[in-house]
Amino acid sequence: MATIPEVMSDTPTSDRNRIGGPTGPDQFLPDSDSAEQPLANAPSRGYSEEQKYQIFNKEFMPHIDSMYNFAFRLTMDEDDANDLVQDTYLKAFRFISSFEQGTNAKAWLFRILKNSFINDYRKKSKEPAKVDYQDVETTYNSEDAESEHTVDLRAESVSDLIGDEVATALNSLPVDFRTVIILCDIEGFTYEEMAKILDIPIGTVRSRLHRARNLLKEKLRDYASSMGYKEENDE
Amino acid sequence: MQTPLPSSSGTKPEMKEHCSHRADCLKLIQLILDGEATEQQLARAKANLESCKPCIQMYQLEKEVKELLTKRIEKRCCPEQLVATIKSRILSFS
Ligand SMILES: [Zn+2]
Repeated sequence: MATIPEVMSDTPTSDRNRIGGPTGPDQFLPDSDSAEQPLANAPSRGYSEEQKYQIFNKEFMPHIDSMYNFAFRLTMDEDDANDLVQDTYLKAFRFISSFEQGTNAKAWLFRILKNSFINDYRKKSKEPAKVDYQDVETTYNSEDAESEHTVDLRAESVSDLIGDEVATALNSLPVDFRTVIILCDIEGFTYEEMAKILDIPIGTVRSRLHRARNLLKEKLRDYASSMGYKEENDE
Repeated sequence: MQTPLPSSSGTKPEMKEHCSHRADCLKLIQLILDGEATEQQLARAKANLESCKPCIQMYQLEKEVKELLTKRIEKRCCPEQLVATIKSRILSFS
């Protein structure tokens, strides 16, 4: 098997060598698995009350549409998205002293939202496909799936799909796969930012994204062929 | 330096009909489209994308799928009521 070491490697690509993508300062995104203390271990910054409101309004609120869109794509339900966004912003305000002014507020907020989703909403999510990520990992983690799987599909076959069809295909993916696609392709985060939002290594971001796209292409192919955009008609 | 540009000379490299590293090429293509490839990776992929038919098709498909996601899926905006609720709840905090 031919390999491309740089692609396979888990070594993060250094910003110096990277082409394109924003290269902002390394923002501080505190570690935590707990819903109650989403921002534990964070150094406290002594913001005055006035500064807190200023940060909240100037750095957090501008991302509210992106946050809502993310919440809606995760929960696939307007009421749940409402609750999730509200909880996230209230949490963000409560723990505002662990946010360093001027750093990547969007990634910081997305990380809190994603943790809230996992802790509070995932269990009661109305998502029909109750696929545990562990199962999916097992299914798609085999060497075969990882290295040799490519979906047989032509660009012209999917180019006529409309937004709703693409959204339905995306929604049918298990949530962890859906998440990396939303973060990368819809919200435009870099792999490095995604690694911080999701608390996973960059190598895992890459491989999960790769698998997510294979799954998505399979769904799109099913859609395209059911709509009659068959390979034969492309000649 | 001695190698002439493929298109400008009569010695066009033969287009490969089969790719023996499809899976790895696909990973590389995704890195490029995501803006995460290094100069080295870009250079290696560039050669492929000029001479390997399956790679060209994979590139087109990946680009198309990314554009479908970026441009065709409707972006939901936060309801104004929710913005108002959040702002008023924040004010009653301290
Ligand atoms: Zn190739």
